[in-house]
Amino acid sequence: MKIVVAIKQVLDPRGFTVNRKAEKIFFNREEWITNPADLCALEAALMLKDKLGAEVVVLSGGPARAGDALRDAWARGADRAIHLSDKAFAGADGFVAARILAKAVDKLGNVDLVLCGDKALDTGGGEVGPRLAEALGWPQVLDALDVSVADGRARAIKPNGKGFVALEVGLPALVTVAAGANQPRYPHGGRIMQSYREYQLEAWTAADLGLSEDELEPLMDNRGQSFPPERQRGTVLDSPQELVRLLKRNRII
Amino acid sequence: MDFTFAPEYVALRKMLREFAEEEVRPLAKTIDREHRVPHETFKKGAKIGLLGVPFPIEYGGMGAGETGYCIMMEEIGRVCTSTATNIGAHIGIGAMAIYLDGTQAQKDKYLRPLASGEKIAAFALTEPNAGSDAAGIRTRAVREGDSYFIDGSKIYITNGPIADIVSVLAVTDPALGARGGVTSFIVETTWEGFKVGTLENKMGIRGSSTSELIFDNLRVPQENILGQTGLGFVTFMKTLDLGRVSLGAACLGGAQAALEAAMQWAKARNQFGAAIAAKQSIQWMVADIACEIEALRSLVYRTAWMVDSHKPFSREAAMCKLYGSEVASRAINKALQIHGALGFSREHPIERAWRDARIAEIFEGTNEVQRIVIASEMFREIGVRVRP
Repeated sequence: MKIVVAIKQVLDPRGFTVNRKAEKIFFNREEWITNPADLCALEAALMLKDKLGAEVVVLSGGPARAGDALRDAWARGADRAIHLSDKAFAGADGFVAARILAKAVDKLGNVDLVLCGDKALDTGGGEVGPRLAEALGWPQVLDALDVSVADGRARAIKPNGKGFVALEVGLPALVTVAAGANQPRYPHGGRIMQSYREYQLEAWTAADLGLSEDELEPLMDNRGQSFPPERQRGTVLDSPQELVRLLKRNRII
Repeated sequence: MDFTFAPEYVALRKMLREFAEEEVRPLAKTIDREHRVPHETFKKGAKIGLLGVPFPIEYGGMGAGETGYCIMMEEIGRVCTSTATNIGAHIGIGAMAIYLDGTQAQKDKYLRPLASGEKIAAFALTEPNAGSDAAGIRTRAVREGDSYFIDGSKIYITNGPIADIVSVLAVTDPALGARGGVTSFIVETTWEGFKVGTLENKMGIRGSSTSELIFDNLRVPQENILGQTGLGFVTFMKTLDLGRVSLGAACLGGAQAALEAAMQWAKARNQFGAAIAAKQSIQWMVADIACEIEALRSLVYRTAWMVDSHKPFSREAAMCKLYGSEVASRAINKALQIHGALGFSREHPIERAWRDARIAEIFEGTNEVQRIVIASEMFREIGVRVRP
């Protein structure tokens, strides 16, 4: 089985504070981490690898610093890490990112399953997964908490508002994994050292993927940014009894 | 001159910080209160190579050298001095003695399970009448055919009650004494004649276990001699030299944590209408601690670099231990002062840090001994011998 995991880096939210009133972002330290949901997607892939045996290939776009996220994924147990790196990829929106990833999945060949995070911590878009499945022409399951594979089919468990539902799709398929779906493992320290000292990251350019400039034209037009309104203060309850009363009144318990 | 860490060290620190925060910090208070060793941390740590950071990957370690080892000790020391002590005694002196002077066969048999964390090591030097003065060792090893029989006891042995493998220093030729008559042995704790004696009830590092070890006609095969017969003292001194660097790193972590906690509290605590961070008295303490920490950080990582690039480092290692333990004590003492009465509460981590810090000025060679080492190296440079 060959599993592809698409990851991206986001800014560590612990490194900055947002002041909504002043409409400013204050950076204490600019540190990049792998998007938490993407790490859960990787963990889901590695669990499948542990259980059934699989080749796990990790893909990421982004500037040179994306190499850290790819090396981290390799250190955690991925077999290959490929940096989709080209000046022409800068400014890609969800549509273009999905197109680049689809070409990379095609180029890899014989991919059975693509896993990615359901949403990025920064944009919160959640569009790359569905767009990638569309570009590949594969079935998709979104926001899964658990992924298993048996008899050429993927089974995913996801919340449906009231509880959970299990969905099955034929392979090849794409599943997006929700943040918090699992507890990503720590990379082995020795693998971290090797990932920089010995492992050679692969890099694929637009030319490697056969993508022309026209195909990399984003759909989205960025017209600026605004800050969401300040959050309203919630109701402060005086006692646990009051909380129980409220929960009962709203028929939650 | 480039003072930045290579990217692999940055990534390693990031992972270790996460491990320390998620797995080690939550247990720090409990193991202190319950006076117990965090076996669960050993188990989890073994999976990420925590118990073999400086040892080569082929032995199951991380292959991260002294620099990586210091990063680990700093990050663990930042959240729990007891855990840092357990790991330090295991890697830095217990397993290190075997790594430095073990034969290939000894490394295969003993270093491998130690580096991968399957087994735990300890290092047994101190006796009731010998510690800093190793010449006072009474533990005897008598040869009979191809075996040695060890009789005697050791005290204050970190990891003593939990160790599987112990490096033991014993007298093989009383006539020669410390100069050629002392040999080190690799001892398995399951062997007949090995006994764990009294456990110490300590003021600090209560999440580490310290005990007496008793050898009663303990048979050790000749192939378990570590290093050369009669030169055990050399093996032990080499090992202790190295251990001092990483001990300085653990102190660095403890001092840094205290500074961060004090600053957070100074920001939150209001007196006379403003945060106490605005008071000059607090700012001076913060500035003084920060300067010392920065100096210590430079010293520790430069010394680690000297170790990794095979330069002589004895003097600097002694400085790491001496300065590190004193900086940690001063920093934690001032940080506790900034916390006021809150810092005196057993509910606050700074109270534990204060108790934990004291031992670093004593064990692995008292700070007085470190000064002797430093001074004798200094005087040696001008051709004067001042060793006791």
